[in-house]
Amino acid sequence: MTKETKQRMAVLQGTLDMLILRTLLYGPAHGHQIGKHIQRTTNDFLQMQHGSLYPALHRLERRGWVASKWETAPDRNRDFKYYRLTEKGRKQLAIEESQWKQMMEAVARVMWPVAEEG
Amino acid sequence: MRWWQFGKRSADLERELRADLQLEEEEQRERGVPPEEARYAARRAFGNTILIREQTHEEWGWAIFERLWQDILYATRQLRRSPGFSIVTMMTLALGIGATTAIFTLVYDVMLRPLPFSEPDRLVNIQEIAAEWSNIYPTLPVSANHFTFWQKNNRTFESMAVMQQGSAPLGAEGRPLQVGVLAATPGIFSVLQVQPWLGRAFTAGEAQPGSDHVAVLTYSLWREQFGGDPSIVGKTIRLNGFPYSVVGVMPKSFRIPSVQTLATIGETNRPSPIGVLEPLAFSKERLAEQMGDLNYFGLARLRPGISLAAATADLDALQHTISANLPADEKATLSIALTPFQQELVGNNRKPLLILLTAVAGLLLVGCMNVTNLLLARSVGQKQQMAVAAALGARRAELLRMALRETAVLAGAGGGLGILLAAAIIPAMQQYLPPALDFRGPLRLDWAGAICALALALLAALVAGAAPAFMVSRTAPNEVLHSESRLASESRRNRRARRVLVGVEVAVSVTLVVMTGLLTASLIKLMRVDRGFTTQRTVTATVDLPRMAYPDDQHRAAFYKQILEGMDRLPGVEHAAVTSVLPLTGDSWGDMARVDGDNRPVTQLPLESFRSVSPEYFSTIHLQLLAGRFFGQSEWGRNVALVSEKTAKSLWPGKDPVGLRFSRGDRTKEGPFTVIGVVANARTISLAKPDPMLIYVPYWYRCEPVAGLVVRTRQDPAEMANAIRQTIWSVDRSVPIPTVRSLGGLVADSVATQRFEMDLLLLFATSALFLAGIGVYGVVMYSVTQRYREIGLRIALGAQRRSVYQLVLRDGLLPVALGAAAGVVIAFVSARVVQSLLYEVSPYDPAVAAGAVCVLLAVGTAACWLPARRAASVEPMRVLRME
Repeated sequence: MTKETKQRMAVLQGTLDMLILRTLLYGPAHGHQIGKHIQRTTNDFLQMQHGSLYPALHRLERRGWVASKWETAPDRNRDFKYYRLTEKGRKQLAIEESQWKQMMEAVARVMWPVAEEG
Repeated sequence: MRWWQFGKRSADLERELRADLQLEEEEQRERGVPPEEARYAARRAFGNTILIREQTHEEWGWAIFERLWQDILYATRQLRRSPGFSIVTMMTLALGIGATTAIFTLVYDVMLRPLPFSEPDRLVNIQEIAAEWSNIYPTLPVSANHFTFWQKNNRTFESMAVMQQGSAPLGAEGRPLQVGVLAATPGIFSVLQVQPWLGRAFTAGEAQPGSDHVAVLTYSLWREQFGGDPSIVGKTIRLNGFPYSVVGVMPKSFRIPSVQTLATIGETNRPSPIGVLEPLAFSKERLAEQMGDLNYFGLARLRPGISLAAATADLDALQHTISANLPADEKATLSIALTPFQQELVGNNRKPLLILLTAVAGLLLVGCMNVTNLLLARSVGQKQQMAVAAALGARRAELLRMALRETAVLAGAGGGLGILLAAAIIPAMQQYLPPALDFRGPLRLDWAGAICALALALLAALVAGAAPAFMVSRTAPNEVLHSESRLASESRRNRRARRVLVGVEVAVSVTLVVMTGLLTASLIKLMRVDRGFTTQRTVTATVDLPRMAYPDDQHRAAFYKQILEGMDRLPGVEHAAVTSVLPLTGDSWGDMARVDGDNRPVTQLPLESFRSVSPEYFSTIHLQLLAGRFFGQSEWGRNVALVSEKTAKSLWPGKDPVGLRFSRGDRTKEGPFTVIGVVANARTISLAKPDPMLIYVPYWYRCEPVAGLVVRTRQDPAEMANAIRQTIWSVDRSVPIPTVRSLGGLVADSVATQRFEMDLLLLFATSALFLAGIGVYGVVMYSVTQRYREIGLRIALGAQRRSVYQLVLRDGLLPVALGAAAGVVIAFVSARVVQSLLYEVSPYDPAVAAGAVCVLLAVGTAACWLPARRAASVEPMRVLRME
């Protein structure tokens, strides 16, 4: 593995986790569904390979933010590994969301400054 | 997540990926994409599955193990491809690590392992120093009189005890058993800070003559002899024939080293392990003896925080008071010598052990050098591979890892085998523990040893692997890949490194060979020394008489007389005799001799070693009579004596002592002894030095309950053992006979430690020689293979085969010669260390050094011969066409 992949992943990592957690707020989903959902909602803006989801999913599971279970998909009649948000994951989502908001505001204040008092 | 779940998790991930990938494919198809293309599209959308798998594994936190496992698998696969190299390397490391671990375990057990007592560093051994006798006895055991005074007046000790170790027959009927008995003052329990596990310790009241027949048993004696009887306390056992009441049983963990004092010290005496503790009771007369009873082993516990120096000063002051109050004819200047208990027990075993440890470490070093050498040669072959890896973007650290992993696997396997080897040899080393320290139960590989082995394996991997890894990791891919692959040759640096390694191997080997040579020469001299007595067809036995049935000299002498008569009647017996101490099993009874007319105080009289023997003793061991005659049974009861030549010359210089008289120095009531003969000097105490002044008195004058029998036979002495036992038992069934051994065996036993050291060194040196030989062979063979073309060309141009031999031999023997010279220098520099272990051999012995160099040159030449022959048989046409 080369250095570059790692760096790219590191940049993505923070937001990807948040996006996955947010997606799971709608209810349990398997990896493919999560990927599709993120892609669709961002109008294919986030050109990501579904593959990069799995390391993230397993990381989230290890931290106890999501739980997984093999279940039969109603439309396909086959087993898929469904991920579900845990209580801990819900809290984490709130934290990440507020952090992301703060960061956006901070970035915005630099990029589009408004006149401040004094 | 645990590693053993790895397989399950992996399968799960695999299934998940497959399911999702399949779904993607299906969706693509449903969108109308042709099936073949759908699969590719799905793959594209998905990304690199191998990468995903790896990254996911990394999220599990096992990447390190996984990579490690892969490294191990990879290295193992590569090593399997060159089994010869792998086996030689592994065996070399296993031998080095195993031997070093075994010796380390021995050294650890003897010198480092804390004694099994609470706060053992506060335990000290007390010895006395009498300035008047310090040239013969640098230190002396403790006297009961002085001990009592110290016990009352010291300010630096928590508790003190004196003790005396002996043996006694246990039980009355049936087959008698000899057990070790430790008679100690009651303080022993607080000194060692152990209490009986059953019952109680003996009290001060029981340490009085008359009430001292109480016993505390050790756990193992209680288990083995009394079946672990839980109600043993209060029961009566027979010790020495006397009834003893058992008051306690020591805990299972209680073990005490042998504390034999001067009177019974013998370098090779292996005392029976202590089974019984009894109170040491002093009679009034004994306590009154101010200088005559220096017989006890003193052991004490320092108060917390008191230094050895402070305690010494304290007791020295008390000794000063004692000295000042001694009567005029016993004047002596007393002082004290305190030694930490452990150090006292280790005694003079320290140096040989350290030398062995150094030697075995030298062997390990040679082994590592050899492995480095092999790895360096191998690294040339791996150059290509490394260059490719480097060209493909492998970083330096990764190249290093690639280079080190084989070494690591080899060292790991070598270490593992080494541990097995050590575990197998260590129990056999038990018999070489110094007798005083052989009390902890079976010697085996324990954590200390295993950790040592692992540390050594790690060290070996680093030492042996570092240089090759360094060379490999500095690969310049361009250079290597551009050069013609078949000509891939060793760099100049690499070659020099390999020669230096061979040189070091040879140097260490020469040092080992020199040391071994010195010790061997010394042992040979020791065995060939004129002992003054002969051992052919002579059997010895020891007996231990129960004190109750044999309370005094008369009873014992009568018993010995009876068994000697029995022996004389045995067919095949030439001579039979009894002696207070068998040759080479130690010294006993020392006393002063006062020649008629000598009126000096007793402390200034010459000190002699006394032996009480039966008349035939001298003829049995062929101790030569120089003047006068031996004593005979007809002189029963008379005080006659024979003296050794040395005694004769010292006590009566220039005179014929036969017919002259002397008395024992402490003014005993008995009449004086008349010297009736002079016998030759001999070496009956130690082979290494002539005996001190010896005086032989007849056994009817004095007899100890423990004595030795010597029997010279006309037939095979091995067949006599049983007859001797039966003869003794026909007189008294209750007498234990702890040992029956040939006299030659006793002589061999007395040098057993030296022999052990020599055997081990010999083994180490031979192994080192062998390894050095392989090293030389490897280097030379390799350079010959590399130079085929050059040699072919030389031969084509008219070089003689002989000059090819010369070329190769010169090339190979140069590092050997330099290494050998360096080795001799090392050996000479460290000569001072071994000097004290040598007997009449100079550590700078030129013959030994020259011999060692010759051996190495011979090994070197032998190792060069095969490659040289290969070189000389090169077919020029074939080689030149090869490229």
